[in-house]
Amino acid sequence: MNIFLLQLKKSPRAIVGLTILLLWVFIAFAGPSLISWSYTHMDMEYQMAAPGEGGHTLGTDALGRDVLSRIVYGSRSILTIALMTSLFSSIAGIIIGFTAGYFGGLIDTIFLRIMDILMAIPPLVLAMVILGILGNSTILSLTIIVSIAYTPATARVARGALLTCTSNEYVDAARIRGESHLYIMFVEILPNTIGPVLVEITARFAYSIMMIASLGFLGVGLQPPTPDWGMMVIENKSIIRTAPWTVLYPSLAIASLVIAISLFSDFISKVMIHEE
Amino acid sequence: MNFLERFLKRLGFMILTIFAMSILIFFLVEIMPGDVAQTVLGQAATEESVAALRESLGLDDPIHVRYFRWAGGFIQGDLGQSLYMRGVEISSIFWRRVGHSMILAFTAFIFYVPISILMGILAGVKAGKLTDSIISVFGLATMALPEFVSGIILITVFSVYLKLLPIASLIPIGETIWGNLDILILPALSITIVMFGYVSRMQRSSMIGVMSSDYIRAATLKGMPRGYVIFRHALKNALLPTITIIGMNMGWLFGGLIVVETLFGFPGLGSLTLSAIKTRDVPLIEACVLFITFIFVFSTFITDMAYAFLNPKIRFKQGEV
Repeated sequence: MNIFLLQLKKSPRAIVGLTILLLWVFIAFAGPSLISWSYTHMDMEYQMAAPGEGGHTLGTDALGRDVLSRIVYGSRSILTIALMTSLFSSIAGIIIGFTAGYFGGLIDTIFLRIMDILMAIPPLVLAMVILGILGNSTILSLTIIVSIAYTPATARVARGALLTCTSNEYVDAARIRGESHLYIMFVEILPNTIGPVLVEITARFAYSIMMIASLGFLGVGLQPPTPDWGMMVIENKSIIRTAPWTVLYPSLAIASLVIAISLFSDFISKVMIHEE
Repeated sequence: MNFLERFLKRLGFMILTIFAMSILIFFLVEIMPGDVAQTVLGQAATEESVAALRESLGLDDPIHVRYFRWAGGFIQGDLGQSLYMRGVEISSIFWRRVGHSMILAFTAFIFYVPISILMGILAGVKAGKLTDSIISVFGLATMALPEFVSGIILITVFSVYLKLLPIASLIPIGETIWGNLDILILPALSITIVMFGYVSRMQRSSMIGVMSSDYIRAATLKGMPRGYVIFRHALKNALLPTITIIGMNMGWLFGGLIVVETLFGFPGLGSLTLSAIKTRDVPLIEACVLFITFIFVFSTFITDMAYAFLNPKIRFKQGEV
């Protein structure tokens, strides 16, 4: 942990990334109690108000809803879903990838082929089709579908990480001791693959944000009136000429969050690879 | 495994993948809530008319019969009829949309491939210097950026403030895409920004790897000009991983097109897919998604073959690679 902090001090990029990320987490937790407008309130006097007018710091949209308030509330759902999907897809990936890599042989071959087939459809297309078909997406359905769409990728990473460890002596030692397969996989091997797994989780976090924002943009994400960053962009795209703030600020919110996580995850991968 | 064996094996696997995906897509759409005939006719329809439509669409047949009828038609180039636009043959709109998307993908391709490779080489050669930092941070920042975010930023700058390029990529009725090529620029640039991160990072790391190898050091020590060493010696080997990445991402590019086409209202395959989902047009969803899968699998296959052909280690090796 000390090494980690020491490395962090030397990397201005990572500090910037982590600061912005923590800022968004803070906004998601405390933001709603600090702003004066509810995200559904339609201010009839100030429709498409420019930033600053009528007490709307970032302006209002065509219905007179406060842009800042919708961005602040929107940060909650996107952070929650992205965090859960990166965790769930990593856990599912570890279980599937470890099982395939550990037992090898036919199980592994079948696993690899199935993953190849599932990877033949872009994750965004897969998630979009399923969510579109099911209709009325919720936080739960988004989390499950996006996790499923990402699991083939995480399972491959987990399998690769396991394979670098299986030939180590401590694995043989555990086997000779007569430990169960589950014990060897999750108590002996898993802690030794923590580097690549952590790298995968943080990188997946950035891609989850990208995917969830895109799904919201395509209209198959969370349903109105729940504020969603991606949805805000497509809802207001037609008024971009007269009220550019209604699309620009949610876009910048997405960009800042994604860039912050990318910068931080790049740092994690550098530290982890350096340590090994 | 020689080249021919590898070719046949991959070809077989490609066909298997498309077959498996077609089953998956068919059953996925099958679980769609609500009755298809009811959706088409609306809530006001009588029970008899719903039953009659079910009969004429063959919806009462067992599922495997319907699957083989659909897949069989597909192989023969019959994509079926649209449900939402009653009586319209899907192929009459589908291929024009595919053509538009191909043109857009190609435009994006000729933007991002040279830029990303050149910037990647520059960053790799200047590794650790300021030039490298700027290129690397930019690439890192844009890697996971959704295409609509880069698109919105471009629209704000080039359409709203500078008023240089159109906000939407619509083709006026009666005209073709060839008379409206300016509508391609912003969508292609939006894709370029996102792809740049991925490709340039790949090129950078493979360049660094090659530049530190013995044969490059030998060439440098012989006193060869640096530009000659980089472009004649190093690049040949440093390009191979990048080409693989670009090829593997061709299908992924088609996924990204859905977002870009929706943002710009571009009449391509991506926006067609989304509107098919929105209108619950079952045959159209199946046609679009299966075609995207086909592009994805096919480009992977081509990349793999090109890689095997370009890499003498695989071309001439007899054993398993």
